[in-house]
Amino acid sequence: MAALKDVAIIGYAQARNERQAQATEVQFLFPVINEALEMSKIPRREIGFTCAGSCDYLSGQTFAFVMNLEAVGAWPPISESHVEMDGAWALYEAWVRLQHEDIDTALVFGSGKSSPGNPAEIYPLQMDPYTLTPLGFDPVSSAAIQARALLDAGKVTERQMAEIAARSRRDAMKNPYAQVTGEFDVDELLAQPYVTAPLRKHDLPPISDGACAVVLATGDKAREVCERPAWIRGIDHRIEAHQPGMRDLTTSRSTRLAGEAAGVGSAPIEVAELSATFTHQEPILREALGLGDQVAINPSGGALSANPVMAVGLARIAEAAKQIVEGGRRRTLGHATSGMCLQQNLVCVLEGEQ
Amino acid sequence: MTDTAGNATTTSGDEPVTMMEYFMQLEYSDVVSAPVMRFRDALMDARLIAQQCPKCKLVYVPPKGYCPIDTVELDERNEIQLADRGVVTNYTVVTPVQYYGQKETEPFVRASILLDPPGGMLILQDVLDIPVAEVRAGMRVEAVWAPKGERDVDEIGNRSGSALEGSLRGFRPTGEPDMPAEAFSDKVW
Ligand SMILES: [Zn+2]
Repeated sequence: MAALKDVAIIGYAQARNERQAQATEVQFLFPVINEALEMSKIPRREIGFTCAGSCDYLSGQTFAFVMNLEAVGAWPPISESHVEMDGAWALYEAWVRLQHEDIDTALVFGSGKSSPGNPAEIYPLQMDPYTLTPLGFDPVSSAAIQARALLDAGKVTERQMAEIAARSRRDAMKNPYAQVTGEFDVDELLAQPYVTAPLRKHDLPPISDGACAVVLATGDKAREVCERPAWIRGIDHRIEAHQPGMRDLTTSRSTRLAGEAAGVGSAPIEVAELSATFTHQEPILREALGLGDQVAINPSGGALSANPVMAVGLARIAEAAKQIVEGGRRRTLGHATSGMCLQQNLVCVLEGEQ
Repeated sequence: MTDTAGNATTTSGDEPVTMMEYFMQLEYSDVVSAPVMRFRDALMDARLIAQQCPKCKLVYVPPKGYCPIDTVELDERNEIQLADRGVVTNYTVVTPVQYYGQKETEPFVRASILLDPPGGMLILQDVLDIPVAEVRAGMRVEAVWAPKGERDVDEIGNRSGSALEGSLRGFRPTGEPDMPAEAFSDKVW
C-alpha cells in the first residue's frame, strides 16, 4: 500500500549487541529509548502512541513485554500496544495508527535477550506441533534445507555465501553496534567445517542481545523537528504458508509482493538493509526485490554481524533511515523477516527530500 | 481421541488415530545484573540496600537500575542502606492446600513490611515468633537474619524480588507499640 499520510522517521537508536548482556532487557532498553527520543527532539510526554515488539519465550519470562514498558515511562498511563513480532511490525502498527488524524508522533521499539535460552530448543515450538516441533525443526536446520535447495538450483555457490559473510563482517567494522566484525579471507572461511551442511559458521547469524528504538512523526511535525526526515513512502508485509514444505524455498514470493506493494521498483534504491540472517538468504531477497549490483546491500554489516531477534528488522529500517537522515541518500529500503526460511516479510521504502 | 489412560482409541469407521507423546522442557540461565549482584553481596553481610530515585524519592528494593516513573537510570551513586526493621502494613494468612510439592502443613503468614526511613517495601515476608492469629497491620517488626555462615543468596536473581529466605528468614515482633494506620496507609501493598 502506498503511504496515505506522510510519516517520517526522525529519531533512532540501537543497543550495542552482545552475545550475553549482563544488563536485563529493560536495563539495556533504557538508554536506547532515551537516545531515540533525544534525537527526535519530541518530549517524551508528547508521544501519541507507543508500540513494542518482543517475545517472552526468548528470555523465558512471562509478561517480560510488560516490564519493558518501564523503559518507556508509562506513568501517568500512555497509549501503547505490543506485537509478538520483530519491532518492524510494531513500526507498521504505529504507521497505521498515525494514519488517523488525532496524533502526530509515535515511539516504536523492538528488543530481545536471546542469551538465556537455547534457540535450537525454543524455535521449534513455533512450528507445526505434530510434524515439525517433535523433529526439533530449528532455524539452522531449516536454513540448511533452504541453502541446499538454493545450491542445487544453481542460484548461489558456497563461495558466494562466504563472500557475503566476509563483506558483512568487513562493513560491520564501521558499525559501533555490531557484534561480529573484522577482515576474513574467503578461502579460509571455506576451509572451515560445516555446522549443518551446507552451512558453515560464517553462514549463520550470531546470537545477540540487543534493542532498537525509532521515533515517527507526521508531515509538518517531522519537518519542524528534523532537518532531513526519512519519509516512509511505502510499507507492506506479506505472509506465506507456515509449513515450509508447501513453499519453493529458493524464492521469496512474499518479499516480492511486499516490495511491489511498497513501490520498491518505481525509482532506484541506493541502499538496502536486508534481514538476511543466513548468507544464502541475501541473494533470495535481492532477486525478490529486484535489487541490482548498483544497490549497496547492508552497509551496516546486516543481520550476519548482529542478530538481536525481535529488534533486527527494526534495526534494518533504522539503518536505512540513517542513510537518509545522516548520509544524505535519496531513497533506501529496510526489510524485516519473521518465521522460518523467510516465511513473513516486511518491506519499508524510505525517501529523503531533494 | 484417547481414553482416560491416554491410550489411542479409534473413531468409528475411520482410520485409527495415532497418538504420540512429546515431552519438552526449556532451560534458561539468566545472568545476574549489576545492581542485584550488589544487593546479594549486601545480604551476605546482613544488610539491605536499595536505589532511591533522586527525582521522586521512591525506594527500589531490590535495586533495579532505573526509576520507571521518571525514566532515569540509577546506579551505585543512588544506592542507600535500608533499616532492617519496620511495620507490617498488610498480610495474608495462607492455609496450605496439600498439592504435590507443598511443604507447609499449618496456616502461615505472608506480610508486607514497610521498612523504617529511608523506606523501602518488602512483600511476601514470613512473620516469625508469633501465633498466626495475633499478626496485625501496624505491628512493629525487625529482621531475623540467617546466622553468618548459613546465609545463602544462590536463589537471588533478577526475577526473585522480595524472596530472600536464604539470608533474611523473616521478621519478628519487636514489642514496640503498634503504629496507627495513618502512618502507612498510603503504602499498603
Ligand atoms: Zn523517580
